[in-house]
Amino acid sequence: MSATPFHLLWLLGAPLALGLLAWVRPPRHSGLVLLVGLPLPLVAVWLLLGLEKGPMAGRLALGPLMLHWRFDGLAALLLLLTQLLLLASALYATDYARATRLGRHAYAGLWPLLGGLALGLGLIWIAADLLLLYAGLELMGLCAVGLMLLPGSNAALSAGLRYLLFALVGSLAWLLGIALLLGAGGRLDLAGLAALTEPEPVIRIALALLTSGLLLKAAIFPLHSWLAPVHGSAWTPVSAIHGALVVKAAFFILLLLWRALLPKAIAGAWALGALGSLAVLWGGLQAARAAGLKQLVAWSTVGQLGYLMLAFPLLAGTGADVATMAWQATWLQLGGHALAKAALFMAAGNLVLATGADRLTALTGTSRRLPLAWMTFGLAAVTLMGLPPSAGFTAKWLWLQAALTAGQWPWVVVLALGTLLSAIYVFRVLRCAFVETGPEGDPEPALKPALKPEPGLGPALKQEPRPKPELKPGPELKPGPKPELKPGPKPAPELRPASGQKPALEPRRPPLGMELVALALALAALALGLAAAWPLALLPAVASPPAGVR
Amino acid sequence: MALAAAWGLAGLLLLLAGLSLFQRDLWRACEAFVAFALLMALAWLLLGAPWLALAETLLGALLTGGSLLWTLRGRGALPRLAPVDETARRARFSAPLRWLLILGWLGLTGLALVWLLGPEALTPPRSTSTLLAATGVPIMGLGLWAFAAQRHLLRRLLAFNLLGSGVFLLLGGLAAPAAAATAEVRALILIGLMIALLGSVLGAALLLRLHAQAGQVTLNPLFKARSNAGSGSGMAPGSGMISTR
Amino acid sequence: MSALLPLATLASSLLTAVVIFLLPELAVRTRTALNLAAALIKLVLVIGMAWGLTRGQVYAFELPVVEGLSMVLQVDALGLTFAGLSSLLWLFTTIYAIGYLEGSPNRRRFFGFFSLCVASTLGISLAGNLFTLLIFYELLTLSTYPLVAHRGTPQALAAATVYLRYTLSAGLALMIGLVALQVLAGDLRFGQREVLAALGAEHEAVLVALFWLLLLGFGVKAALVPLHGWLPRAMVAPAPVSALLHAVAVVKAGAFGIIRLVYDVYGIGFSAALGLLDGLVLIACVTIVYGSLRALTQQELKPRLAFSTVSQVSYIVLGIGLFGPLGTIAALAHLLHQGLMKVTLFFCAGNYAEELGIHRIDELDGVGRRMPLSSLAFTIGALGMIGMPPVVGFISKWMLGMGAVQAERPWVIAVLVASTLLNAAYFLPILNRLWFRPGPGQGIGAWPAARAPSRLETSAWLLLPALATALLSLLAGMFAGLPFSPLQWATRVVDQTYLAL
Repeated sequence: MSATPFHLLWLLGAPLALGLLAWVRPPRHSGLVLLVGLPLPLVAVWLLLGLEKGPMAGRLALGPLMLHWRFDGLAALLLLLTQLLLLASALYATDYARATRLGRHAYAGLWPLLGGLALGLGLIWIAADLLLLYAGLELMGLCAVGLMLLPGSNAALSAGLRYLLFALVGSLAWLLGIALLLGAGGRLDLAGLAALTEPEPVIRIALALLTSGLLLKAAIFPLHSWLAPVHGSAWTPVSAIHGALVVKAAFFILLLLWRALLPKAIAGAWALGALGSLAVLWGGLQAARAAGLKQLVAWSTVGQLGYLMLAFPLLAGTGADVATMAWQATWLQLGGHALAKAALFMAAGNLVLATGADRLTALTGTSRRLPLAWMTFGLAAVTLMGLPPSAGFTAKWLWLQAALTAGQWPWVVVLALGTLLSAIYVFRVLRCAFVETGPEGDPEPALKPALKPEPGLGPALKQEPRPKPELKPGPELKPGPKPELKPGPKPAPELRPASGQKPALEPRRPPLGMELVALALALAALALGLAAAWPLALLPAVASPPAGVR
Repeated sequence: MALAAAWGLAGLLLLLAGLSLFQRDLWRACEAFVAFALLMALAWLLLGAPWLALAETLLGALLTGGSLLWTLRGRGALPRLAPVDETARRARFSAPLRWLLILGWLGLTGLALVWLLGPEALTPPRSTSTLLAATGVPIMGLGLWAFAAQRHLLRRLLAFNLLGSGVFLLLGGLAAPAAAATAEVRALILIGLMIALLGSVLGAALLLRLHAQAGQVTLNPLFKARSNAGSGSGMAPGSGMISTR
Repeated sequence: MSALLPLATLASSLLTAVVIFLLPELAVRTRTALNLAAALIKLVLVIGMAWGLTRGQVYAFELPVVEGLSMVLQVDALGLTFAGLSSLLWLFTTIYAIGYLEGSPNRRRFFGFFSLCVASTLGISLAGNLFTLLIFYELLTLSTYPLVAHRGTPQALAAATVYLRYTLSAGLALMIGLVALQVLAGDLRFGQREVLAALGAEHEAVLVALFWLLLLGFGVKAALVPLHGWLPRAMVAPAPVSALLHAVAVVKAGAFGIIRLVYDVYGIGFSAALGLLDGLVLIACVTIVYGSLRALTQQELKPRLAFSTVSQVSYIVLGIGLFGPLGTIAALAHLLHQGLMKVTLFFCAGNYAEELGIHRIDELDGVGRRMPLSSLAFTIGALGMIGMPPVVGFISKWMLGMGAVQAERPWVIAVLVASTLLNAAYFLPILNRLWFRPGPGQGIGAWPAARAPSRLETSAWLLLPALATALLSLLAGMFAGLPFSPLQWATRVVDQTYLAL
């Protein structure tokens, strides 16, 4: 039996179907999730292995509408990565829901959104025209916003709203770019657009608009401001999947478009590279200053995404050897960072869950109780810093080699500074593991916020009647200076106590399943560095045009 | 004849967009938006896309507009918003990057239009499609300005919707001559309408919830505290509900 | 088959590390047994490889990482020198650490990273190209950080941060230099000396610049002045870690890297032609004198030993810089000799601290009577450092002097003499205090009560390794002429590998 488009379609649709199923009946045990979810990555592997005969491509006619898709090694690898990370995130989520006692509705809402996210990502990986890309991007974006909102706390709501507004405007910029391209060429498939050369200024402008929309969604400096707040309040499995895949998808599209439309635009590519460099520096600096663990991890995403942007100047107008190295480095970094960032978020989530506080200072004195979580954090951080043996290291080596071969010195400096900055923020956290005494003060164990049930967003959206705030006309009309003291359902900031609250002195271990999932991802990121030859051999050559049937 | 109707339509669209965006009375602003969406449907009819007109009526006017209106006066469990936006506008040059992006957006679009249409772009448009595409630009400009300058989340959602309509007009108008891609254009606009609807509904629901939980109608809690101190009862949680009764 | 032994050697420590991390904290006996078994197995494997190598066996392993870049393990005589040193001393250090950390917290973490550290050292010694060397070199940085920070005190954390600052920056310099070398010459295996020499005419300036960049990378770990700042600070770590840093792993990894760089990448002839050796000798001489001078001013025992290390490790670099077989022999022999002597000194310093709570030199009065065996070992080590026959230190200095004559740099002998005088000036007072001063009586500053007379002066775990290494450094000096003594092994390496000269 050989792989056919039908199998691909099945693989795209299955997560959504499973997600809807789980909505009706949310899984309670990670074993069940593993059992049901494991076939998906296996099928992805099978599809990947079936590609040796060459990439698949085709068109799908929906009435007068023609959709173009292609399935090459890159798409297959990314699909595999997506399925793996989704599975890991789902496994983590089941244990997480029990450990933190998530609200029932909110927890149920997680599943269809995850499924939708998977479908959106899958569409993006295989799309070969702008329409399909648009649909995938929007589906992914809305699901991502939904996932971010699940905690329902004030912080999550306002961060999610900001994300929503940004994402919506970003997609309009994207749509406007498409409008211009349509006006110029009258077609949307990438293969056709790649052949389009005239009128060049309009293509440039269209690409600029498309780029700005995508930069917003990929959280590339200077359009990154929505990222850190969103991660600060989101659930851990959601943060993991978001930091690992969602922002990368926007980058993927960006690279696809630039290579199809303006493969030789050196000035623009350098501008993107410069933005990436600023992202590396700014993200690193902010991470080195961040007070909270999840914030730190989120800022590190900003910085690490900057590395990916170095692909543009090294791919545009450079020789074949440089382009090949940069091409391999990009995907290696993307994969390695996706795995490591998910692991890092999960490890950070485990630490936060166990200590009950997000601040770095609250982590001291926990290493004996939480060796596994610390180990995972450390292993994932190795990839982040680009130290051997890890995918980050191999990718950085390739980048350095590409930059030196091409004589593009600035990127060498950026890579070096980025490495040092990442080491600074990583070891800011890791050094806490070696301090034996816990944080000062507050001898009596504080209430563990993680034990409180969370109201979640779900109930409210489903119009479950909620006690009305007891604000009757009369004296209350003077504005409440402290809105947090309002009656009504108290928004439980997820896992984060109010700033003055001291964490529990005795950290409680997170469930083993959560720790193992994180550890597995971190180890995978390390292994990818040494076993890079296999996935890289499956990548389509850099010179190959964006495939697709014309 | 069609061109004259198009001119009238374009003028009305602009007028309603302005009304919807400048109006501090949220209810009227939303009403203006519904009217705007209905006119948009008319524009699609003029461009020869009846199905799109239907979709616009349904998704844009009925559902999106309806959900925004419902946010103001619906009978849900959550406290209603205040009927009038009393938040101050953002200081004019508070976020230079934002303005730079807006100017870049509009400037680039204008340039691209000039390039695509040639000299015709600088004379009064002679075809319906060009005229409507050109109308899209000022509507986008209005939407962008409002999105950047205003703080009230409902008004920002309105601004987003108008910005989207401007983009749709441009898309529809520009691509109309290239008959080959008609289906694709309509699919794009349809997806865009769906996204706008979902985004608006989600945004409105979130706004209500944020309002109920934190008394905020803007993204910035700091700002809200200041505005409360200045404007008295305006944004006290629950006051919207009270005044509608 | 030939890939099996190097991999097994590497795995013997790597797997030990993994298993130790998985064992519960309280499984002390299992952990101890595992540690000792792994150390022994590794020693046996290394000896086996040495045996095989002398009979012409080839051991190599290659894993392509990306196109044009492979992770290569290969066994050559030079690498085995370092591997032998690290596995022999690891055995002693492990025994010592087991005794030293008895009853202290976080031993799982400690021994896990300890094993990881030695695995990286072994990887460095078996690396077949610079890429592989870099991988293990950085791994060494990562695995020693937890050891330096182990105690978790503010001083320990500060020292560990300083250590990281130096080593990570150095690793970065190394990486950039290696990538640049790769761009110039492709994936260079050790021993392909002709490749760079062939490039020499065209890229001379670049190659010289790269050499210094790479030297910067290796020099930090080798504690060359002015890159030595981390080493004395890292003294806050537990004594076995200090022994590991100073004698077995870290500084030796730096020195070994420089050896590889000069002999196997650039080639000694080409290095001399580029004029690189002059700079190397100069740096080494400055470091030797500076380290000794600073050691003289230290009032505490461990920092004095640390600055002594700064000085002594540069003997190796000096030997590298002296063009000619004798200089090379001196460098390699001293790599082994210094390890034996320094590890003895640190073991003894740890014993004094552990048994009597002594950290300062002026507290050492009369310790020789209380702890005669430790003090004997210390004396042997110290005399060796000064260069007194028959301890091995004499051999090193003698060979260095000969090398200096061969390389036509007689002024180096003056440096050696000055260094020897300085060594004597900072070690002899300690010996004087140990043996010829009365100890404190009762009251303030008194030592804790002695153990029962029938028992050893301190725990056997602590005492025996110190005695063993002291004995080895004595024997290695007395029987330097026998086959498989460090000197003879070094001569063999030089004969085998540098016949071309």
